[in-house]
Amino acid sequence: MKFENVQCKDVMVYICENLKEDIDSERCRAIRHHIETCGSCSDYSASIECIINWYRDYDPGFSEQLHTNLLKKLDLE
Amino acid sequence: MSEEKLIELAKTGDRDALRDLVKKYEKTLYSFAFKICRNREKAENVMQETFLSMLKSLKGFDGNSKLSTWLYRISVNHCLMSARKAKKDMFVEPDDDEELFSERHAADWSTIPYKSVENQELREILDRSIAKLAPEYRIVFTLRDVQQLSTEETAGITGLSVPAVKSRLHRARAFLRNEISKEFQR
Repeated sequence: MKFENVQCKDVMVYICENLKEDIDSERCRAIRHHIETCGSCSDYSASIECIINWYRDYDPGFSEQLHTNLLKKLDLE
Repeated sequence: MSEEKLIELAKTGDRDALRDLVKKYEKTLYSFAFKICRNREKAENVMQETFLSMLKSLKGFDGNSKLSTWLYRISVNHCLMSARKAKKDMFVEPDDDEELFSERHAADWSTIPYKSVENQELREILDRSIAKLAPEYRIVFTLRDVQQLSTEETAGITGLSVPAVKSRLHRARAFLRNEISKEFQR
């Protein structure tokens, strides 16, 4: 994939590879170059990272009661 | 004590070793199950069933994969079993590429406060969007992006091929992003 041939739609489809996968492949370098020079794709990439980071930081908590219930269920009290 | 030693002792039925293994993975597995099941009761049930399966099958664990990978695999199966009991029309399977990557979803993200996840409205929208995503896609998104496992590990856990993992991942991401755009365009 050549630098000048990358379209915004390619970025949307191949963003999977751009975000931490195969980062040294020619395709990823081309995608990265496109993102750096295209405002719309830069926003797209940032929005995906935002969603990922939000769910990564989402903490449902873990109470002592959950731990106690688990040991009881496993007969490991 | 190393994990290998703990597993070795746990295989002999050593209760302290079993408790240590449970303690080590309980929070991770509960958080993972919650992010897939989106329900505290179901997540607790999945976590308990996962550890029950571990107690039952630990002797057969050959150490060829990491214990965490093995536990994720068991947990994924329990999550899917739990999801199958839910109504199918609760979820969206993002399998229409034409729709997913349509130009009409190329919203102007400069008008969406995505940089601030402290924004309560955005958090609620993200929450609703993830809840709509079909569990098969949510599992891949969570393993790969949230738990930060490699594509190969995710494929091993889910039983999918590497290309299928990549395909589900980019569809899940596009679906979530489009849902958020749609909400803000209303």
